[in-house]
Amino acid sequence: MSFKWWPIRRAVQLSIIALIASPLFELNLFNGNLAAGELLGIKLADPLAFLQATLASHLFIASFLGAALIVTAVYLASGGRTFCGWVCPMYLLSEISEKLRRRLGTGERTYSLNGTRWALAMTIILSILTGIPVFEILSPLGVSSRAIMFNGRLPLLLVGAILVVEVCVARRIWCRSLCPVGGFYTLLGQISPIRVSFSRERCTDCGECLRVCPVEEVLTPSLADNMPQITSGDCTRCGDCIDICPAKALGVGVWYTHSVQSKEVSP
Amino acid sequence: MRYYHLNNLNQHTGISRRRFLKDGMLVPLALAVAGGSISTLFLRRADARGFYLRPPGAVEETRFLAACVKCGKCAQACPYGSIKMAGGEAGIGIGTPHIVTREVPCHLCPDIPCAKTCPSGALDRKLNDIEKIRMGTAVIIDRENCLSLRGLRCEVCYRQCPLIDKAITIEPRHNTRTGVHSIMEPVIHADKCVGCGICENACVRDKPVIRVLAAIPGQKDYYEF
Repeated sequence: MSFKWWPIRRAVQLSIIALIASPLFELNLFNGNLAAGELLGIKLADPLAFLQATLASHLFIASFLGAALIVTAVYLASGGRTFCGWVCPMYLLSEISEKLRRRLGTGERTYSLNGTRWALAMTIILSILTGIPVFEILSPLGVSSRAIMFNGRLPLLLVGAILVVEVCVARRIWCRSLCPVGGFYTLLGQISPIRVSFSRERCTDCGECLRVCPVEEVLTPSLADNMPQITSGDCTRCGDCIDICPAKALGVGVWYTHSVQSKEVSP
Repeated sequence: MRYYHLNNLNQHTGISRRRFLKDGMLVPLALAVAGGSISTLFLRRADARGFYLRPPGAVEETRFLAACVKCGKCAQACPYGSIKMAGGEAGIGIGTPHIVTREVPCHLCPDIPCAKTCPSGALDRKLNDIEKIRMGTAVIIDRENCLSLRGLRCEVCYRQCPLIDKAITIEPRHNTRTGVHSIMEPVIHADKCVGCGICENACVRDKPVIRVLAAIPGQKDYYEF
């Protein structure tokens, strides 16, 4: 029985949901949601929520900036879109939609990963222009966390709609191409030191990693050009490719390796 | 620095340049424009939805809507469960906190925990005196149905007011209808009323005749006598 990442990741995802729900059970561990919260007295805030609220309202709150900087530092150190792969409940939903989609054999379309960065740019521009934190109105992340916190059900229609679109039309469209929070963490992920490493010598080109990866485009530079690390910020560091690889060609890489491995494959 | 370029993408995912441009630029742009215009319409409509009673310390409504990140910490901090998170009916105010006075009014905790916990400045965290809260102003909106104004000894709003004899006073006057009795009229003083909604909650009529409306700002007074 070899070491697998997915049980740890699943445990983290579920404990985030448990933390958001904890005030319902009178537990004083966590207040708020993923836009802004307080974990054991430490104030945390989504950097994008901070940017939107501050740019829209022209109110500057130093502790809000501090809370956003703590979160930025954590994800900068741990891989950027680790937020997506390990924390965000919407990613868990997209994993469910992926399972359903495969079973039904529907929704093969994929859209470009650039969409998240476009969404990020539009979110910030619209927040400045309208004076409203635009994404916080539509955020399925906020909607679902408020539904957990206050037993609200109606707003879950939005989340359900995303699930239906993901199952029927476009594979994981929310996380891959629409979410501006993902777009923000993509920018951090490009410079973050925690990456998936790739060994050309071990790789047998079986393609299992491409099959499980939610953003399989990020594997292309390694598989085609033998890049020793997955350098794209879109990689969610979920570790599914590491878990599935039968040849152990993929692993956790720390810091940067820029040297390109030789193209020869040992027979 | 960036390792993957268009050629590699073409080789391995079979995406043509046209498809790449279409999905990579045009589709998100179209979605963003559509989203932007929908949210603008949405915003216009929401302006006409009237007054939401915001938690203590709320900044002016436009700025409040700009600053609130809808995290729900104020509602979790409220020991009475007074603060509710608005649903879709609030338009762009979806997910923002407000108080439904007829269900649970604001009980004016001396330490104002809701305002203290707000991360984004939508509620003023520095507020420390409950008498300085200005959520709104109570107004008797239905004088015909107010029992006190009809000459009965009701005065429930006055008795329940946490700022009794400051925010609401009783001003007796002659009841001209009967000719022998008094009318004990509850009079609200906008400069003292904090808008907690306890009077609206306490009003004995099926439909409250006293309601909290948008705060009435003070005016310069040239008419002292």
